Amino acid sequence: MVERKRIEIPEGVKVKESVGEEAGFPFDISPMYEGERIRKGDMYVELGGPTAPGFELVMALPMDQVEDMKVTLIGPDLEEMNEGEAYPYAMIYYIAGSQVETDLEPVIERRNHDFQNYIEGYMHLNQRYDIWIRIGKNAVKKGLNSLIQIAKATMMLYKNELPFIEKIEAVYITDKDFVEKFLNEVAMPIYEERDRRVEMLHDEDVGEFYSCTLCQSFAPTNVCIVSPDRPSLCGAITWFDGRAAAKVDPEGPNRAVPKGDLIDPIGGEYSGVNEFAKRESGGEYERIKLHSFFEYPHTSCGCFEVIGFYMPEVDGIGWVHRGYAEPAPNGLTFSTMAGQTGGGKQVAGFLGVGIAYFRSKKFIQADGGWYRTVWMPKELKERVAKYIPDDVRDKIATEEDARTLDELKEFLKKVDHPVVKGVVRPVDGKKITNGWVEEVAEEVAEEVAAEAAPAQPVAQQAVMQPVMQPMMMPGFQFPALQMPAPSAAPAGIKLIIKDAKITIDKVIIRKAEKEKKGGS
Amino acid sequence: MTVIAVAGKGGTGKTLVSALLVNFISEKSSSVLAVDADPDSNLPEALGVEVKKTLGEIREIFQVSRDEMGSMNKEQWLEGKIYAEAVCECPRYDLLVMGRPEGEGCYCFANSLLRGVLRRLMRHYDYIIIDTEAGLEHFSRKTIDSADYIIIVTDMSRKGLATAKRIKELAEELRLNFKKIFLIANRITSEDAEMAIRKFAEEEGLELLAVLPYDSSVAEVDLRGDPVSEIDKNSEVYRKMKEVANLILNLTVEAR
Repeated sequence: MVERKRIEIPEGVKVKESVGEEAGFPFDISPMYEGERIRKGDMYVELGGPTAPGFELVMALPMDQVEDMKVTLIGPDLEEMNEGEAYPYAMIYYIAGSQVETDLEPVIERRNHDFQNYIEGYMHLNQRYDIWIRIGKNAVKKGLNSLIQIAKATMMLYKNELPFIEKIEAVYITDKDFVEKFLNEVAMPIYEERDRRVEMLHDEDVGEFYSCTLCQSFAPTNVCIVSPDRPSLCGAITWFDGRAAAKVDPEGPNRAVPKGDLIDPIGGEYSGVNEFAKRESGGEYERIKLHSFFEYPHTSCGCFEVIGFYMPEVDGIGWVHRGYAEPAPNGLTFSTMAGQTGGGKQVAGFLGVGIAYFRSKKFIQADGGWYRTVWMPKELKERVAKYIPDDVRDKIATEEDARTLDELKEFLKKVDHPVVKGVVRPVDGKKITNGWVEEVAEEVAEEVAAEAAPAQPVAQQAVMQPVMQPMMMPGFQFPALQMPAPSAAPAGIKLIIKDAKITIDKVIIRKAEKEKKGGS
Repeated sequence: MTVIAVAGKGGTGKTLVSALLVNFISEKSSSVLAVDADPDSNLPEALGVEVKKTLGEIREIFQVSRDEMGSMNKEQWLEGKIYAEAVCECPRYDLLVMGRPEGEGCYCFANSLLRGVLRRLMRHYDYIIIDTEAGLEHFSRKTIDSADYIIIVTDMSRKGLATAKRIKELAEELRLNFKKIFLIANRITSEDAEMAIRKFAEEEGLELLAVLPYDSSVAEVDLRGDPVSEIDKNSEVYRKMKEVANLILNLTVEAR
């Protein structure tokens, strides 16, 4: 971790200092000023922005290293600036408190934007190294003459609004060389570290996930759960976005979902998520596993960027994104599959995800993750290539390798894809599929029309059920299929069919070839 | 904040009306936002200004760059882009162009953020003049919350009137909480036509604000895409629209 310490101001540099609370301010402070835009013609000076460097940074320090309510200003103050010009600007805050942790720095730093926009005649835009401030002529006319007033007002708001901040100190800089020096030497390494942490932050590291119900107008039973390892299906919302939104509007579309007890660490099942899902789906779903494809998968809204589909013929999973218009090897296009899966349903065999989920270390880990993935369009594969493990990357087919199931089978056999001999899921080393049965046997099996046997192959066929939907009666409600993972003990199949009217011309049920499958 | 929405069938002259209103109102108020909410029209051209980016373009950039934003705050990112690149600072007013509608994919989150940013931005203007298409899409999507005054522009065509009627119904359905709904008749060439329009307005409960004559010099400015500032100051269209602007200014002063 990058070390947090006070910046070093070389001796002899002229600084302006002030300690203690201000008795009053020459400006109003209120949330009603949020969003106020200061036009170029009305602006006294611009700080940071498109033409001058700038940054804002919050650092958590030990109690004894922070001098409460102290401001140090390096460089020219407002009254020494020329009207209409742009100046470099850095705002560094040291904070301390028994509950203040390094992890909270970004959350606290973001509030600088909110608080400073409460100040009348002061516009704050952007974040980190992009900050852009404008101070209005009117504010100066009303008596604003020092950035120390701004710093004191901001610190006061911090302490009022976030009482766990016991001590706060500010260093503001308007000297170009110092702004650039501390941006490069102090701030950038911290920002980079934070972004690295995003990729390193996992479900087990946090206490709560966030929901998203923005889509419920289209998909009333959809319950999007956004966790560090699982961004939203639409690809827009990460755990950080959920947290930010829930802070602003705790009763809004993104609410905190306490994790509760961990029920299944591999599938990603939590009691808190289940309770929330049950409540928010109107009792439709009782269990949701965040990182499972087959067993209690996440619901699919309709907004998802990518749909995953199980192909029993190769015992593997394919993925197709919205932009790919051709049919996938299973003969279906994105929109056909999306039409059957969307609307907030939990459909075993199909799963909507966001492209960012391919970056997740827990990407459908219960069902083998990348080692179960057999096909994706080239465009999608290239976008996520660096997240695919080296030993399987070349074994995943694209439309250039295979457009039909037969071509896909050939390809997978040729490259010896894990599904051919059986997938071992990396998360716990368990062998979860048996690999392909002898082709001859399968062909024979297809000829046999035998009595119903609730075992593997049938179960896998049932997974494909949604494909039949377009041929069915209008108003047909797709049955909520609840499938055991194909590797589970042969416990059979549970079919819940609600409000269904099914017309079938012909049913072919084939016999399960248990011995052959297990023995090969 | 007073929101004035100008709507009507394409080609009836609503962009001309919007641009003239922006022109006149910004002479009296220094806090005016003009919004082009009709992808088929061109308010910037009628105002004689250029915009850097439309809101739609920024939303597209957001959609493709969001995966790379790490732990940055997306709402702040969008707000910064909109303030810097989509809100155009014209000499007397600001201008925001909504741009083309969404592409494929899900815009729920982007639009939810946009709504918040626009709401906070718009409340700081005294006057917001919105040139909107007949479907009032941005209102139905709640990208724009409400309208205080709705001005429907029609010509004397049957279709123009039918659209006017539909806009009124839609505005009521959407619960825009408007205070008044007006009609402006444009390019009226005969007394018969004027009579018909008056009757229509009465029947539909629309207050007829102005009847603008057909003026070939105005039509030429409109056709060439020249700014409305080039319209002859002595023309009837110019004078009558100035009266309309004054009427609206008076109404809002009274309301305050």
